[in-house]
Amino acid sequence: MEELLELLKDGHARTLELLASELGTDTDDIKRKLEYLENMGIIRKVCLSPCGAGKCAECAMHSGAAPCKGCLPENGFKNMGEMWEVDKGLIAENRG
Amino acid sequence: MSAGATIALLGQPNSGKSTLFNALTGLRQHVGNWPGKTVEKKEGSFSYGGKEYRVADLPGSYSLSANSDEEVITRDFIASGEADVVCILADSSQLQRSLFMLADYAGINVPCFLLLNMADVAEDQGKTIDAKTIEKKLGIPVVPFSATDIRSYDSFYKTLEKALSKDSRINVEELAAQYGSIKGYQDICDLIPENVLEGYSPMWLAVKVLEKDEVVIAKLKNALDAETFGRIEEAARGTNGAVATGGCKFRWIDELLGETVSAGNNTVRLSRLDRIYTNKFWGKAAVILTVLLGLIASFIPALPLMGVGEAVLAVKAPVMNALYSIGCPEFLILIVGDVIIQSFSYIFKMLGFVFGVTLVFGLLEEVGVMARISYVFDNTMGKLGLQGKSVMPFLVSFGCTMGGAAGARVIDNWGQKVLTIALAWAVPCGAAWATIPMLASIFFGPGAVGVIVAILFTMLVHMWITAKVFGGQLVKKEDRYGMIMELPPYHKPKWGALFRYVLGRTKETFIRVTKVILLVCGIFWLLSYSPSGNGGILYSIGVAIEPVTRIFGLPWQLFLSYVASAVGKEGAVGVISALYSGGSYGNAFTQAMSGGADTSNLSSLLLANVTKPEALAFIFAMTFNMPCVVALAATFQETHSAKWTARIVLYYTVVSLILAFIAYHIGMLIW
Ligand SMILES: Nc1nc2c(ncn2[C@@H]2O[C@H](COP(=O)(O)OP(=O)(O)O)[C@@H](O)[C@H]2O)c(=O)[nH]1
Repeated sequence: MEELLELLKDGHARTLELLASELGTDTDDIKRKLEYLENMGIIRKVCLSPCGAGKCAECAMHSGAAPCKGCLPENGFKNMGEMWEVDKGLIAENRG
Repeated sequence: MSAGATIALLGQPNSGKSTLFNALTGLRQHVGNWPGKTVEKKEGSFSYGGKEYRVADLPGSYSLSANSDEEVITRDFIASGEADVVCILADSSQLQRSLFMLADYAGINVPCFLLLNMADVAEDQGKTIDAKTIEKKLGIPVVPFSATDIRSYDSFYKTLEKALSKDSRINVEELAAQYGSIKGYQDICDLIPENVLEGYSPMWLAVKVLEKDEVVIAKLKNALDAETFGRIEEAARGTNGAVATGGCKFRWIDELLGETVSAGNNTVRLSRLDRIYTNKFWGKAAVILTVLLGLIASFIPALPLMGVGEAVLAVKAPVMNALYSIGCPEFLILIVGDVIIQSFSYIFKMLGFVFGVTLVFGLLEEVGVMARISYVFDNTMGKLGLQGKSVMPFLVSFGCTMGGAAGARVIDNWGQKVLTIALAWAVPCGAAWATIPMLASIFFGPGAVGVIVAILFTMLVHMWITAKVFGGQLVKKEDRYGMIMELPPYHKPKWGALFRYVLGRTKETFIRVTKVILLVCGIFWLLSYSPSGNGGILYSIGVAIEPVTRIFGLPWQLFLSYVASAVGKEGAVGVISALYSGGSYGNAFTQAMSGGADTSNLSSLLLANVTKPEALAFIFAMTFNMPCVVALAATFQETHSAKWTARIVLYYTVVSLILAFIAYHIGMLIW
C-alpha cells in the first residue's frame, strides 16, 4: 500500500483500473486496500453533493443551506462514481 | 444438560453473522446494550450433543482497530476471555478482502475457527476454495459454510467441537515475519512483555502501537514503567504506521490463500470511450469537445420554447390595439405592451435555453460523462493549486454560481476555497446561458455557435489568469496527492427522472426570471419613460456617460444593462428591452396603433440600433461581469472575508470591461 500512496504523490488522478495496472494487480485488490485506508482514515471519500443529500456527515452538516432549488439534480449528482482523496496531514504525521 | 462453551461470532458487516446467530439460537435470544454504550448486544443459546452453548453476536465492524466503539467493545470482550472460542466469519465470494478481520485478529490469544460463509455464492461465481490447505497453513479449523443453508450446520457444529477440543489458535509465524520487515516493529515488540495486557500478544500490541491505536497506547502507558513506554514511543516515531501494517496483513492473506482459491479471470478492460477520456493527451480535448457539442445540441430542445416566445410577441400589437380601442390610458397600454408582453417573450426564449442546457448537462451526468470530466481535470486543478474536488463547484456553477460557492464548502483549506469560488465566478451560470444564446442568435444568427465557443474559450483563459493573479496569495504550491476515482459505468439515462428534474428546474427558473425581469424592466422603463418625448431621466444620465462607455464599445443603453446584470443576468435582458422600446416609445406607439406589428418586434429594433461589435462587447461584458447579488452574498458567507469578496468583485468588473473592449475591437475588425 506504500506503493499505492507513493504513486499518487505525483498529483495525477487515477482510476481503479489505472492503479491496478500500474501496481500489477487487479481492481479487487485495489478496492480492498482503499477500504482499509478509508477505515484507517488515511484516505477519505469525497462528498460530491453540495445540496446536502445526507450521504455523508459533511453533507448532513450543511443540509440546511442548500443552494437555490433547481440548480442541481435532486440530491445532487448521483452518477459521479466514487472519489477518494488522501489525508495529507495523517501521512505527514505518520512519517514523523 | 451440561454447560457447554461460550461462542463469540466475529465478522465484518454483511458477513452473515445475524443469519448464523438467528439460525443457531432461534427464539432463545436476548437483545440488550453493552454496558455504558448504545451498541446493541445480542446473546442467545442453543443445545447440541447434550450440551448447552451460549452465543454472543459481536457488533459488526471492519477490523479490530480503535476506530469506533464497536471495534473496542468487540476486542475487549474477546480478550477478556469471556468467550471460550471465537467463530470468525469471512465471505467466501471475496476472501482476499474479507479475511482482513482474521488478519487483524491474529495475535489475540483466544481459540478460534474460521467459517468461510457464503460458500454457495462463491460456487455460483465459479470459485473453488481449498479449505483443507488453508486450515493446514492457519493451524485452526476452517470450514466452508452457508448460513442460509440448513444442511451446512452439521459441519458448523463439528468444527466448533474440534476447535474447542484442540484449543486451536492461529499460527502467526508468517505474519510476524511480515511485520518484522517494518521499521521499528521488532524494537517495540521486544519492549512489550508477554501478558502485559490480558489476551493480547506482544506482536498484536506492537502492531497497534504502529497503527497509532490510542486505546492500546493508553493502556500500555498505564501498564508499563515510564522508561519502557518512552522507548516504545521513540521506536514508533517516524514509522509508516497503518499503511505498512495493513500492507503486511494483505500480503499475509495473499500468501495464505496462495493457490487455494481459483477464480475466473476478472481483469477489467476499459471501454473504448474511456480509453479516449482517460487518455493523457486526448482526454481534455475530448471532454471540451463533449461539453461544446452538448451546448450546441442544447439549441435543439430549446427551439419549441423559442417559438412560444415569438408567438407571445405576435399578440403584442393586437392586444395594444384592443386596449386602445376600449379607451385605455396610453401609459397603461405601453406598460402592458412594452413591459409585460415584451418581457414574457424574452422569458420564454430564455427558458428554451434553460431547458436545453439543463437537459443536455443532466444527460451527460446521467450517462456518466460528468464523472469523466472531473477525472480529466483533476491534474489541471493541481496545477492551479487546487484540489481535484474543486472541479465540482465549477461544474455546479454552470447551473448557478451560488450553488458553486456553496459547493466549495467541501474544500477544507480556506485559501483553496476562496480561489475556487473566485474561479467559479468566471463560469457562465444558467442565467447567462439563457441570455447569451438568445442575444447571440438575434445578432449573429447561426454565428451564435461561434460566440458560444468563444465564450467557453475565454472562460478557460479567464480562469487560468485569475488563478495566477490570486493564486500566489491564496494557495501554496505544495506536494499534492492525486485523487483515486471509481468511474461509474456508462448507463442509459432514466428519462423519467431526468425530465422531472429538467422541468422542475425550468419551472423554478421561470418563476425567478419572471420576477426579476418584470421588476427590472418595469423600473428601467419607468425611468426612461417621458411623455414629452425627450427620453426621461435615464436618457439624460446615459447620454452624459456615453463618451466613457463607448470606450468599451457599449452604447449607454447597453452599459446600463451591463450594470443591471450585476444584480442578476436575467435582468440585463429586461433592461435592454425597456430602454430600447422606452426610448423610442413614441415611434413604437404610433406604429403599433397604426397596426404596424413589425416595429413592435424588439429584435428588429435592436438590430436597427445596435451594431454587431457593440452586441459582442455587451455579451462578453455581461457574461464575465459578477454573477449576481445572491452569488455575491454566498461568496461573502463562504469566505468570511469582506476584503476578498470586494477584491473579487472589483477584479471581475475590471476584467469584464477589458473583455468588452477587446471583443468590441475584434468585432470592428470582422464587421
Ligand atoms: N447466499 C447466501 N446469503 C447469505 C449467506 N449468509 C448470509 N447471507 C445473506 O447476506 C446478507 C447479510 O447477512 P447478515 O446475517 O445480515 O449479515 P451481518 O451484517 O453480518 O449480520 C443477508 O441478506 C443474508 O441473507 C450465505 O451463506 N449464502
